[in-house]
Amino acid sequence: MSTQDRAGSTDRSGVPHWAQHLLVFVIFISIWEMAVQFNWVSALILPSPFAVIVAWWDLAITRGIIWGHFFTTLTEVLVGFIVGATFGIGVAILSAINMTFRRLVSPYMVALQVTPRIAIAPIIVAWLGFGMEPKMAIAAIICFFPMFINALTGLMQVDHENLEMFESMRASKWQIFRHLQLPGALPVIMAGFKTGISLALIGAIVGEFVSASEGIGVLIQRFSFQLLLPEAFASLIMLTAMGLFLYGLATFADRHIVFWRHSDLVNKISRRMRAKNAGLAGIKPLE
Amino acid sequence: MTASPQLDPTPASITDPRETIISSEDLGMVFAAGSVVALQEVNFEIKRGEFISLIGPSGCGKSTLLRIVAGLLTPTGGTLSVKGEPVTRPRPDIGMMFQKPTLLPWKSVMDNVMLPKTLGGRVTKEDKEKAVALLHLVGLEGFEFSFPGQLSGGMQQRVALARLLNTGAEILLLDEPFGALDEFTRERLNVELLRIQREVKATILFVTHNIQEAVFLADDVFVMTPRPGRLTEIVDVGLPRPREMAMMKDADFNQRVFEVRDILGGTI
Repeated sequence: MSTQDRAGSTDRSGVPHWAQHLLVFVIFISIWEMAVQFNWVSALILPSPFAVIVAWWDLAITRGIIWGHFFTTLTEVLVGFIVGATFGIGVAILSAINMTFRRLVSPYMVALQVTPRIAIAPIIVAWLGFGMEPKMAIAAIICFFPMFINALTGLMQVDHENLEMFESMRASKWQIFRHLQLPGALPVIMAGFKTGISLALIGAIVGEFVSASEGIGVLIQRFSFQLLLPEAFASLIMLTAMGLFLYGLATFADRHIVFWRHSDLVNKISRRMRAKNAGLAGIKPLE
Repeated sequence: MTASPQLDPTPASITDPRETIISSEDLGMVFAAGSVVALQEVNFEIKRGEFISLIGPSGCGKSTLLRIVAGLLTPTGGTLSVKGEPVTRPRPDIGMMFQKPTLLPWKSVMDNVMLPKTLGGRVTKEDKEKAVALLHLVGLEGFEFSFPGQLSGGMQQRVALARLLNTGAEILLLDEPFGALDEFTRERLNVELLRIQREVKATILFVTHNIQEAVFLADDVFVMTPRPGRLTEIVDVGLPRPREMAMMKDADFNQRVFEVRDILGGTI
């Protein structure tokens, strides 16, 4: 993306962007710390940043008990997302190539969209018990819909002249799907990835809130009930980190799958292809 | 499906250069259950190797006519024949190019040009070298591994032209191919199109709404008028070839332009 905040970019002030971000962060944390230190807010309600760091150090380093929970939640999210995305994209593909199928499933899709999908969590737990499976299932159900709708939108937006171009070359339906429809849908599908993976995280946490013995959601609930708010905040920060990691993963996948939307990658791939085909008659090597 | 006798037409297959290759007999096209008459009683014959410009205002059915020749639309009346056979579906000896470049942004320029071969099966080293040669022919040396998004509109249309030539079609249908480009680029591409036609010896049907362009390129200008879409008159340009931009100042050229404008004048 051309508007992306690149490291090292500056504006008219001459202060690099990373320094500006750091400044805002330091001010924010300082105000928070002062608010607690000067008793503007009770430390029982809002733990100070320092207390949160101490709690995090204890949970993550000294006792190291948070990591098991962290990877439990991460596994639930990733498996749930993969399952939800596979079904979402799969149903979208079937709907895009078969009008009858699309007509028959669309009422259920609308029903799924208007039902608050979180409300299904207790039922899923009742079905699948207390392990990781119900959380995966809830994550999958929650991220299924945005994946489905994005994939279907992408697959249905085929340019008419492009289609005529393929038809004039006597392409089969499968070839049109494989060479035009599917790659053309990838930008929209990948945009769905970013939404879907964040929703999968919400799904897994909701599942853990309903009933679980392991996971960051369990920790947050347990610490909050015991009024151990620094620990609850430290756990929450782990979720923020997980969310950032997942979002980064989706962004990375988007950049490399929809590479043609990113000029820096296109230049690189273009050079690599030229080097690989240097032996072809008529190809001049790069100077 | 009747297998077409010519799967890979080459200029070598040309026996009689003045043989009729496309003919239209009382061709009619009615859209939307009888409410819109897009084409009515269209009759013409096109000889092998001719360059025909199809001109007319919006709604005169020129794009519809082109799509019938391409086999993308089935006429509701009359027959459109290519080499004596009625056209019912897209044929390997007919290729089409559009106002939009219709390139695939995720494929390199080379891979876009090789699309007809990719759809036809496996791509060989010869196919790749042919694609490189075609890119040189359309003036895109050095851009083989660029991506469409890195190219200007004019260059993208050159890629589309190379891809069209790579279909091996001997009848090329061009639907306002340079209509979205700036004047200078369009003029340059027109001159190059004529050079390329001489080289590949194709029969060309060229849709445009620019009278000068129509006259400059064509052997015959098919003038069409709307509501209902009819082929009103065929203007024989009769100017010498090869044609150059300087020709546009000649009295003969402008005479033809006025002639076409007069025919259109009564309808617009």
